Amino acid sequence: MAALLSRERIVAKPGFNRWLVPPAALAIHLSIGMAYGFSVFWLPLSKAIGITKSVPCPDGPTGLQGFFHLLVQTECDWKISTLGWMFTLFFVFLGSSAALFGAWVERGGPRRAGVVAAFCWTSGFLISALGVHLHQIWLMWLGSGVIGGIGLGLGYISPVSTLIKWFPDRRGMATGMAIMGFGGGAMIGSPLADILMKRYATPTSVGVWETFVTMGLIYFVAMMLGAFGYRVPPEGWRPAGWTLPMAERRAMITTGNVHVGEAVKTPQFWLLWWVLCLNVSAGIGVIGMASPMIQEVFGGRLIDLPGVALKDLAESQKAQLATIGAAFAALLSVFNIAGRIGWASFSDYIGRKRTYFVFFALGILLYALVPWAGRIGSVVLFVSLFCVILTMYGGGFATIPAYLADMFGTRYVGAIHGRLLTAWSAAGILGPVLVNYIREFQLDRGVPNAQVYNVTMYVLAGLLVIGFFCNLAVRPVSEHHYMTDEALREPARPSQAAVRTP
Amino acid sequence: MADDDMGEPKPGQWPLVILAWVLVGVPLLWGVYTTLAKAALLFK
Repeated sequence: MAALLSRERIVAKPGFNRWLVPPAALAIHLSIGMAYGFSVFWLPLSKAIGITKSVPCPDGPTGLQGFFHLLVQTECDWKISTLGWMFTLFFVFLGSSAALFGAWVERGGPRRAGVVAAFCWTSGFLISALGVHLHQIWLMWLGSGVIGGIGLGLGYISPVSTLIKWFPDRRGMATGMAIMGFGGGAMIGSPLADILMKRYATPTSVGVWETFVTMGLIYFVAMMLGAFGYRVPPEGWRPAGWTLPMAERRAMITTGNVHVGEAVKTPQFWLLWWVLCLNVSAGIGVIGMASPMIQEVFGGRLIDLPGVALKDLAESQKAQLATIGAAFAALLSVFNIAGRIGWASFSDYIGRKRTYFVFFALGILLYALVPWAGRIGSVVLFVSLFCVILTMYGGGFATIPAYLADMFGTRYVGAIHGRLLTAWSAAGILGPVLVNYIREFQLDRGVPNAQVYNVTMYVLAGLLVIGFFCNLAVRPVSEHHYMTDEALREPARPSQAAVRTP
Repeated sequence: MADDDMGEPKPGQWPLVILAWVLVGVPLLWGVYTTLAKAALLFK
């Protein structure tokens, strides 16, 4: 079995078509991308015991004792805020596992990583199903959050270096295709989960655990097909007739390779870490508040009642606004995935540094314009600004692997990308915390709901200003960090860091 | 090693390429369509 999964086993044979690799990567990314869509389960799970309505918990112990009681209690329903911790676990374990196991993924090859990711992701669903069945929240956190989160990290980085090696002429497009899948996974998974929960719902079950089992098995098949579809190119392979253009060689694309252990010692790595962290923090902040924001900023204007604030609307009118808020969030998700493939492909033509220059420069302008769009009451302008912002959020994710390959070479790009994804974990905490605290602070100071996001937008624009200068400071990596020819001939090892002496 | 050394992709692989893209493309398009249908409410 070990040999079947090894890197040596999957070296492509003559006549192999490289266009078979992106769909294999997409099969894995579309599966793990369901992590974004888990909120579809929160409402049914908040009624797992009461079925038709949530059963509130009686007053019980507080503090640490209360926390442990919450983990094992079976008498009342979970709060949505408790379930929401799953997202935090997802992104913390995604970043941690990608950072920890990145070098192993490079060494073992993408098939092994893909298979382990499939087992982790599916186990997460099955353990969570048991958690729902037994009403044990800790099983859900452990299953989907921790074990599934590790699967997310491994699955996310598994195709990156392989795709970059197959498409040295279109690095951005190749990784953009896979990472687009991660953005699109929830678009398939959420409606599918909705259909399955309706199908499985009975008078005694909300249908979630059955849905978890079904989806876990579907994802297992899809991910195994993807993992077994991976092929790596022979060492030194390049497309027929393609050579790195001289102009690019002089500029921002290295011809050397930097070991993962050496890469993290370079200022370029940490500048790119902040570039990703700040770009993602701003975007995540927006995604998290998109639905309430459009409702609070425009209130009755969204349903032809201009001048009527959200708090003054009737319950039925508020329900209409909630539907519009959900529609806004859905529209943003489409622009998010469009930006992943669009911007990443565009970066192949204008270069990675220029692409991030656009993200930050344009982003600062657009974030700063949002309060003005709200003030003049233009829903169309407001929605358009956020649609463009979300393309750049997705584009930031999809372009970073190619940026890393340009800076550090392709040999360890998967492992370096894994380490860089800790920036995503940090942003997953920084962005929402920043946005929520600023909003609360504004509300406490008596700022009207319609204006409560203005300061937030300026703060997010400020984050992008810092990111702009970090990107501007990125220079080619000094050649003394490159691996020696001798080190390059040896198989990849996590501790191998032989570098050229200056 | 250049692509020439590996040979051109075998013509027989193109149907497999199309099948692989259909397998991932159809669910993705369905997901995008479903999401856009939901988002259309914003413009009503």
